[in-house]
Amino acid sequence: MDRQLRPIYEALDTNSNKSAILACNKVLKKQSNNLLVKALKALALVRSQKVEEALILCDEVLASKPVDDPTLTAMMHVLRGLGRHQDMVAMYEDAYKQQPANEELGTQTFFANVRIGNWKAAQQIATKMHKQSQEDRYLYWNAMGALLQANDPTTPETLRTILFKLAHRLLSQVQAPAVFYAERFHLHLTVLKELKLYDEAYDLVESESGRIVCSSSLACEELRREIWKLKGLTKEAGEHAEKQILEAKDRNWLEFLAVLDATFVDPEDKSATAESIKKTRELLGKVVEEDGVKDRSGHLALLELEKRSRQHGLATDTTTLNSLLEAYFQNFGGKACCYEDLKPYVELEGEDLARWTAVLEKQTASSTFVPDLWRYINAQKLLRYNLPQSALTPEAEIQRASQQIDAYLEGLKLGKDLPSYELQPADDLAILAAQEFVSVWKQTGDEAYLYNAAALLEYAIVRSKTSYQIRLHLIRIYRLLGAPSLALEHYRSINVKQVQNDTLSHFVLSRASTFSLSSIGDLTYTSECLESSRIYLSNSEDTAELIVRAFANEKYSQIHDFIIFEDRLENSLQRDLIKMEHVRMRIPHEAINSELVDMELIELKFIFDRLHHDNRDFSILANYQPRSSETFHDQTQFLTKKTPGLGWLWVFLKIYIKAFQLASDLDDTVEDKLLIGDRPKPSNDPETKLPLKDRLAARKQEEIDELSKDEALFYDYATALSEWLTPYHDYARPPPSAVLAEAAKLTEQKTGHPLKGLEIPPEAANGHAKKDEEPPAVVEPPAAISKYFDDMLKRFKEVSEGKGLPQELLHVVTLTQEAFLLFAIETTRFKAASVIKQNKFGGLTQHIKDIRTKSVAVLTEISSALISRAEAEATAEGRKALTNACKPIIHESGLDHDFVLNVAKKITESRKQILEGVGKGIAKVTKAHV
Amino acid sequence: MSVIRPFKATDLFKFNHINLDLWTETYAINFYLGYLSRWPDMCAVQETPQGRMMGYVIGKAEGNGIERHGHVTALTVAPEYRRLGLSRKFMNWLEKVSDENYRGYFVDLYVRCVNFAAIKMYEGFGYSVYRRVREYYSNLGLGYSIRDEEDGFDMRKPLSRDPMRRSVRANGRDIVVSAQEVP
Repeated sequence: MDRQLRPIYEALDTNSNKSAILACNKVLKKQSNNLLVKALKALALVRSQKVEEALILCDEVLASKPVDDPTLTAMMHVLRGLGRHQDMVAMYEDAYKQQPANEELGTQTFFANVRIGNWKAAQQIATKMHKQSQEDRYLYWNAMGALLQANDPTTPETLRTILFKLAHRLLSQVQAPAVFYAERFHLHLTVLKELKLYDEAYDLVESESGRIVCSSSLACEELRREIWKLKGLTKEAGEHAEKQILEAKDRNWLEFLAVLDATFVDPEDKSATAESIKKTRELLGKVVEEDGVKDRSGHLALLELEKRSRQHGLATDTTTLNSLLEAYFQNFGGKACCYEDLKPYVELEGEDLARWTAVLEKQTASSTFVPDLWRYINAQKLLRYNLPQSALTPEAEIQRASQQIDAYLEGLKLGKDLPSYELQPADDLAILAAQEFVSVWKQTGDEAYLYNAAALLEYAIVRSKTSYQIRLHLIRIYRLLGAPSLALEHYRSINVKQVQNDTLSHFVLSRASTFSLSSIGDLTYTSECLESSRIYLSNSEDTAELIVRAFANEKYSQIHDFIIFEDRLENSLQRDLIKMEHVRMRIPHEAINSELVDMELIELKFIFDRLHHDNRDFSILANYQPRSSETFHDQTQFLTKKTPGLGWLWVFLKIYIKAFQLASDLDDTVEDKLLIGDRPKPSNDPETKLPLKDRLAARKQEEIDELSKDEALFYDYATALSEWLTPYHDYARPPPSAVLAEAAKLTEQKTGHPLKGLEIPPEAANGHAKKDEEPPAVVEPPAAISKYFDDMLKRFKEVSEGKGLPQELLHVVTLTQEAFLLFAIETTRFKAASVIKQNKFGGLTQHIKDIRTKSVAVLTEISSALISRAEAEATAEGRKALTNACKPIIHESGLDHDFVLNVAKKITESRKQILEGVGKGIAKVTKAHV
Repeated sequence: MSVIRPFKATDLFKFNHINLDLWTETYAINFYLGYLSRWPDMCAVQETPQGRMMGYVIGKAEGNGIERHGHVTALTVAPEYRRLGLSRKFMNWLEKVSDENYRGYFVDLYVRCVNFAAIKMYEGFGYSVYRRVREYYSNLGLGYSIRDEEDGFDMRKPLSRDPMRRSVRANGRDIVVSAQEVP
């Protein structure tokens, strides 16, 4: 037997699925009932995307209830590949039932439940396993399962305490005390904490062995601190921390916080608190004296002490804060982190602010040593932070930018001998100047200042190639300027990988369909969507296995976090924002047929049931704008101040689900029968329980608030369109039995086997059964539909002639095209003369034709206007105008005229490419949907 | 000065400003969760008082007998928090855990032969080159000779169980092994 199996396993190991299938067939010829080989063949089929064939084999193997380990393992991979986790649980449970003494089977059954978060069943198995083997680990598995079930959002509140108590009872049966294992100890403490048994928990952590565990496990130490706090031991924690600071020389900031919390433990008692403040000040004074500039803790804690004293009205000397700030700046102004350290303490007013400003202004640009340069940069950032609105006039901002550029160019000399891959210490000065230019643009609306920012940053990135911060700034500015190819180029240079795709892809993929040229077959942005989404697949393939591994290794402190991590990626908002953009890019590129419509309909409906998590990293984009003004992030948003979030996603989901529903023949009953794999669990949000129809129709202001002005118009248009056409679709859609018959026929053609579990009534098989109701009368389309196209033409002219950014122009244009495509999706059904005739929809054809003619006329006008604008873009005059606009930054050498001209060339060419491409794409799209 | 705390799975959503760095690799989910599911006590983060991550360390324990040791798989600090003593704190902590929790004889780590700043820093912490490993890294294209760019140093520091310093040697830079010979 081994001799026969070896080639199969070898082929599978090397991913040669074709030869694995051949090798399996060879064995199956002689032994047609060899379960293991069937399972292995199913695996090879799944891996070669031959799902239908795999399903047949898979069901055969499952039906014979396998128990041997190799078959089970092979089937585990098959079922995972098919997303049939429920079946995997059933398979292992069956096997375990047949061999209840088999511990390995028990373990695998437990793990199968863990993978799908079936905590209740997992607990039952752990109980059984513990009864049999008396091993402590199964008690811990059981307790962990109870804890996880209690924390599951679907568990009712009343059941939670019962589950925590159950976990507690289980742990009290343990033979060996938990303190020997940090991880078991951690689980025990967590249960006690949840049950609010703080005294018991306290005794555990403060026992001799408890202390030892906490001293070498950060996770237990973290719990220890929490338990002290929950037990109300703020004062004692302060005393303990004081000892740590003085005797063990611990400089963990948490110790300092404990001292500070203890100082203000009873702020109502003014005199006692004043006394504590004095004592703490002495303590921190000692630390500062001892550490000097070696460590920042003491210095920073003094600032925090003063801040809290002020909050409680217990500050005795009004000049203390200023003196502390000055001392801190003196000591640590040469460190890059000084600005961030001080930010929470410098929100000053009046005289305090004047004194602080005067100190900072004395700091002149100097480029002899790197710390001096940093001192200057920090002073500039701190000064800027407190600038009032009145000081932000365009003239003043330009003046500042020019001063920063001088200091920047001077500062570059300091780093001239650094290897090319090192960051230049002066980088932040270029970023400051760029933000100042953006602030001027924001006030004046004059694009010229964005060119200045872009050209300056392009220079900075040449000097400091590895600065992601400079590139992120460029990406934002290039998107505003409608130069998406340059934005993407910088994004790719950052080399975003793995999970970073989830947190950072918003920089280029937010509203990316605006910049996509999929209509002319350029799939750059489309494939960027797919690339960025790969991380979600690896999450669903791998993370559950790691949760299993954490159980196997008994690393209980990790399991809850792993589950949260998996959920946050699985239900990531960015994931579905990308998905939505991808759909919006597919439609201009592909034929609108049932394959596209049905598939996307099912997927978007799943998304509509999710509870999303926003993992996007916005904080990575530096902000040096004054606190009185908008942040740099807000200033460089796409048209609106609001980042597209859940509300935006919800609107677009509603639009597209509705449109695909109309176009599709699938209704819920059909969908259920045709779906392979488990249906994802809808989130716990009560809204998911409402009928889909009502949810799709609900218009919510907070959602609309996330749309741009033009997107809101598009939403209105889409609503009017679908309301008008719904009755005709509902009437004309073939009955479910006919749709199923058609699907069955297709499957049989493909695989040679009939579709399983389907019984088709004979009368349906020949298509259109007689309808009982009369067809709905054809009515005039609402005026809003064709008016939308008039309005968009007006918007186009307005933006094109006025001061609108290229970004806005593309936004208006792509939305108009999208409206046309939405119309195409929702009218494809009525193209067939037979549908019109059978359903007596005679009048509909003319209405559809009228709207089509109108929309095509508008789009054609826009298209040719765009193409001629594109031609004007990449000319010598265009480049010259752009270069001239950059006068404020042009210097004699390095950042000179030629350099800027080169940037101008890149910008104008990128812009030409997108304008021309979108223009030509419109022409193509309108022709494709006649 | 910082808050030192355990590295958590969800930190992967917050480490961009640390990982967008030439010397720092961003690995697959498997990598981080794999370490956390085996050696959670050897992975730590330091963060600012405002809760922003400043750097992290990921380590493991391996080897048997006198080869038992702690290994630093990744240690990285965001550029804006360098020169503040964070790495020293991480290394002291990891040495303590390797010594107390895993009873190791030494701690070791790999570093690119061209990462001069890091090598100097580790030497300052008491580490020395034990051997040079051929073609341990991929090429970064920094313009050094291929050898230097792709080779790594295996650096070690003995712990309390090795008072005779048997796990280190003086001429380590001259001992060259291939990448296949190291675990």
